[in-house]
Amino acid sequence: VSDVEENAMHQHGSTRRQFFKAAGLGAATVAVGGGALAATRGAVEAAAQVAAVSARDHVVLTGPRILLAATDGYMTAAGRENDPLYIFGFIPAPDDTVANLESNLKGRAQHVAPILDTTEGADTYIKVTNLGLVQRPDLTDSHTLHWHGFRTPSALFDGVPEVSVAVPINRQLTYFYRPHNAGTYMYHCHFEDVEHVQMGMTSIVFVRPAGHPNWAYNDSSTAFDRHFAILLNELWKAFHDNDRDIQESIPTDYDPQWFTLNGRSYPQTVLPNDDPGLQPGLRILTPNANNGDDEASQPVSALIQVNPGERVLLRLANLGYLQHSMELPGIPLRVVGQDATFLGAGTSLGVAYGDRRYTTNTLYIGPGEARDVLFTAPAYSGSSPSFTDAWGDYNRYFLRNRDQRKLANNGAAGPGGPNGAIAGLGGMATEVRVYAPGSAVPAPVPDSAGRISPNLTYVR
Amino acid sequence: MTMTKRTGRLGILLALALPLWGAATAQAAGPKLGMICTNGPTFDLVAGSGHIATPDGNSVFMWSYSSASGHFQIPGPVLCVNQGDTVTIHLHNGLDQHPAQPGMVPENVSIVFPGQQDVSAAGGTAGLFTREAQPGGDVTYTFTASRPGTYVYESGTDPSKQLEMGLYGALVVRPSGHPDQAYGDASTQFDPSHEFLLLLNEIDPDLHHAVETGTTYDFTTLHNRYFNVNGREFPDTVEDNGVSWLPNQPYGALVRVQPYCNPSNASDPLNPPGCNSTSTPNRLPSLIRMINVGELNHPFHPHGNHLRQVAQDGRPFANTATSEHFAETIGSGQTEDYLLSWTDQDFWDAATPTRQFPNGVASIDYRNLTFKDGNTFFSGSAYLGRTGTLPTGVVSHNICGEWYFPWHSHALNEFANFDEGFGGMATLMRVDPFGGCSAYPGSASVVGGSVKSGGFGDLGADDGAYFQVNPKTTTRPTATTAGQGSITVASASGFPAAGSFYVRIDSEVLQVTGGQGTTTWTVVTALANDWYAGFSGLPTGAQNLKVTFKGKNCANTTGTTCTALASNLPQQTVKICNWTVAGASGCSTATSSGWVNLPPPQSQPVGSADVSTTWTLPGSPSAYVGTGSYQGQVRVLVHTQRWTGPNPTAFSTWGNVMQLVYDAP
Repeated sequence: VSDVEENAMHQHGSTRRQFFKAAGLGAATVAVGGGALAATRGAVEAAAQVAAVSARDHVVLTGPRILLAATDGYMTAAGRENDPLYIFGFIPAPDDTVANLESNLKGRAQHVAPILDTTEGADTYIKVTNLGLVQRPDLTDSHTLHWHGFRTPSALFDGVPEVSVAVPINRQLTYFYRPHNAGTYMYHCHFEDVEHVQMGMTSIVFVRPAGHPNWAYNDSSTAFDRHFAILLNELWKAFHDNDRDIQESIPTDYDPQWFTLNGRSYPQTVLPNDDPGLQPGLRILTPNANNGDDEASQPVSALIQVNPGERVLLRLANLGYLQHSMELPGIPLRVVGQDATFLGAGTSLGVAYGDRRYTTNTLYIGPGEARDVLFTAPAYSGSSPSFTDAWGDYNRYFLRNRDQRKLANNGAAGPGGPNGAIAGLGGMATEVRVYAPGSAVPAPVPDSAGRISPNLTYVR
Repeated sequence: MTMTKRTGRLGILLALALPLWGAATAQAAGPKLGMICTNGPTFDLVAGSGHIATPDGNSVFMWSYSSASGHFQIPGPVLCVNQGDTVTIHLHNGLDQHPAQPGMVPENVSIVFPGQQDVSAAGGTAGLFTREAQPGGDVTYTFTASRPGTYVYESGTDPSKQLEMGLYGALVVRPSGHPDQAYGDASTQFDPSHEFLLLLNEIDPDLHHAVETGTTYDFTTLHNRYFNVNGREFPDTVEDNGVSWLPNQPYGALVRVQPYCNPSNASDPLNPPGCNSTSTPNRLPSLIRMINVGELNHPFHPHGNHLRQVAQDGRPFANTATSEHFAETIGSGQTEDYLLSWTDQDFWDAATPTRQFPNGVASIDYRNLTFKDGNTFFSGSAYLGRTGTLPTGVVSHNICGEWYFPWHSHALNEFANFDEGFGGMATLMRVDPFGGCSAYPGSASVVGGSVKSGGFGDLGADDGAYFQVNPKTTTRPTATTAGQGSITVASASGFPAAGSFYVRIDSEVLQVTGGQGTTTWTVVTALANDWYAGFSGLPTGAQNLKVTFKGKNCANTTGTTCTALASNLPQQTVKICNWTVAGASGCSTATSSGWVNLPPPQSQPVGSADVSTTWTLPGSPSAYVGTGSYQGQVRVLVHTQRWTGPNPTAFSTWGNVMQLVYDAP
């Protein structure tokens, strides 16, 4: 499929929409280069981004100016479709007045929050607006933004309310970061964090090395063809239901029922990133009691669609409260980064390191930890079991939790579902789909700064 | 149940009342921060019972090891020995003494030493893992500390109860001949004044209550409610070692660091601004010894900077195999050693234009922000070492713009006290400003002369903004006029009888060039200005006060650009207010008696290029820091004079930056 055809099909609308991603097509949704630093938007482009929020903005936000609003909403916990889970969350916001943001976005939280895509040396301003809660007007919680793992921030921008400041309802604060260290981080609200993190105010932020936007670190061995940021998490219904029902929860009773990747449990994880143009079966639409709308409040997919031989970077991080052992049977995992530090040989901040990279089949990731993992997609095998999803034919590999209790949704096996999801599997699992030569997923189209957008999913 | 519990608490409090005083005295002798060693190689320990306090007001019954000469404490004493020592630990089982817990059932106790080899035990009775001391009995363990490192000692008897109850502690083996290294390797050298222990554990109070009352103890019902560091739950963890209100939890966990500075390598990119060849070195990292004595693995997340892990379970990593972490899971029973240097990459600095935060992000609009519970560790400024004004009603724990970052379990259900967040398994890291605390003027008062332009805020940064003062020219004694060549004074007593000398009349300075020894002097008039900068908020106990003033003088008294002075440069004298002379009135005018000349250079010519001078104040700074209604105030006066005869030519004094530096308590 040529780029020309892609564009033509995209422009011709939804009857056979080529793919829902952003790589260069949704010009407003992914950074489109310019400026002195690679991968930094020009002012005009940044303004274009914030004038309107696109579906892609709910998946990934980039550029020097990132606008987030914090509010409440609902999501669908797999297996509890009839009783949406109450959440708090960060959502992308346009550049608008607080009054308009409140009017348009209050009560429409998403989980996980958009992935933030930043670049070493490129100043990043993240403006957080607290819109308050629709379901809990009595709860006047402030919010903050904590860039988890950022080295030597000013205490002001570390987002811990007890040692800096917090943003009360209908107020705004611009957090400022000058990233120096490439790698994968997290961000989350740190206000009453045992509650607000569990309630959903979490996502991944990553930093691209300056000059090499498609390397994990400033080392050519970490070059990738595709990259996927995937946040491990859990959902404990007591906190969500009690918050909805004006009841207290006791954090030390923590005992989650759902185990998620990017806020989705299998089979939700293998649905594509949300887009209004998707056929309804491929969307996760949650009835939002705050406003009566059906909303796609879990827009970020965890599906990993690749072609044979491609170098794939997984940016994994854990913002649950439990430790997780993840495995990807059939594909060796090369761990090249940990907690936003390169594990290859080199010198960092005056300390010399040897090569500490390793290859593994299982990844043990504690809360608050991150790993950068590379793998080479195996060849497509026609003799191996082959499956077909909304894009094409593929071999299937599972990225899944090793603890079988975490492969269930509220204790139940998953029912399977659209886009090739199998029955009998739930929880913290997703798939690496290696496509047949005849159904290769398109090569990502770098933006004008040469950047490959993360977390691209494809349907026809 | 409640009755029994209450009786127990009262009983133990009474029982503790007497030994508490002795212990408090002993603890006060140690450092307020950092790991406190109980030095060996021979130790005399007692297993006993007592209570700990939790921040939510609870009281939990514990068993623990304590020094026989000391006081019940959780965790047990930090046993420090040297590599190669023959270590002897005598253990007395004091669990037979529990008058306030009549239902408690004493047990044998013992100690095992994971990571030590060839431990021999003598006395007592045979147990499952080692020899044990029966209630009221004794046992002695001996081993050779063959390897340096961080280790655990803990009960080897009925571990599912005795480890839960608190029978554990840290064992530190220092490398032979290198007490300043974590291991016998220069790469593990650390600053001995920055050695910290963070010992993690969790508690199910119901199980402890079962032991206290002698009811059924079922470890399979374990449901942890308290998660602690060094036996304290946050925020108690940030209190000093040995505070009187936590008599059984003597070990604080606050980590306090200063920015890295390597004076021997001026081009070290990690050196902060101001770190030069004459700076006090801070090249060595802090050492953080972490231990998990709990049943659960704990993911520990240090805010602010990565920690570099150099060892695990007493085994150092190869030199280049260390690793940096912004979170790391410490397994149950593991020890991990970390090094930490505060090496900034931006050096944000309010006083340096190129290091200021861009686009106004550092200007804080309190109308848009809130402080949780009206209580904060925040300084009010985005900059390290700077303070800002906080809204009325907000209580600040900040001293001089130092930064605080939480270090906590990122299993956030453990970052709580039972049901209350921001507690539990957490502490704070305090980052002090480079070189110490700095203070900048909060006021500027002209006591001789007039303000040309600017204000005290211009003295806060080394930039293009100046506080500008013109000399006083109006008020003179009635008998004199500007340019007059002679004056008559009432008495010449006390003035030199020969040679030229200066006298001050009001705010002006005259040079006496003739008539010495008589009451009619031939004089050359001069111009002078006097102003002082006022500082506030210095903490009681501030030490090592230094004053820096940077400024210049210009030939013009109007206009915004400096007209250079080429000759006859004004003389600058800087003084500090000694509040003990006459209080505030001693420093009310330019000639008041309280002004004390700073040490040399006392009087120096200052032209139209900025001259920066730093003075170290001798002796105790207490005389210079106000008390009472002038609590925490410091005043520094700048006197500048220029004379020519017969008519002085104009000049103006331009103050660029005035700074106080001190060590906070």
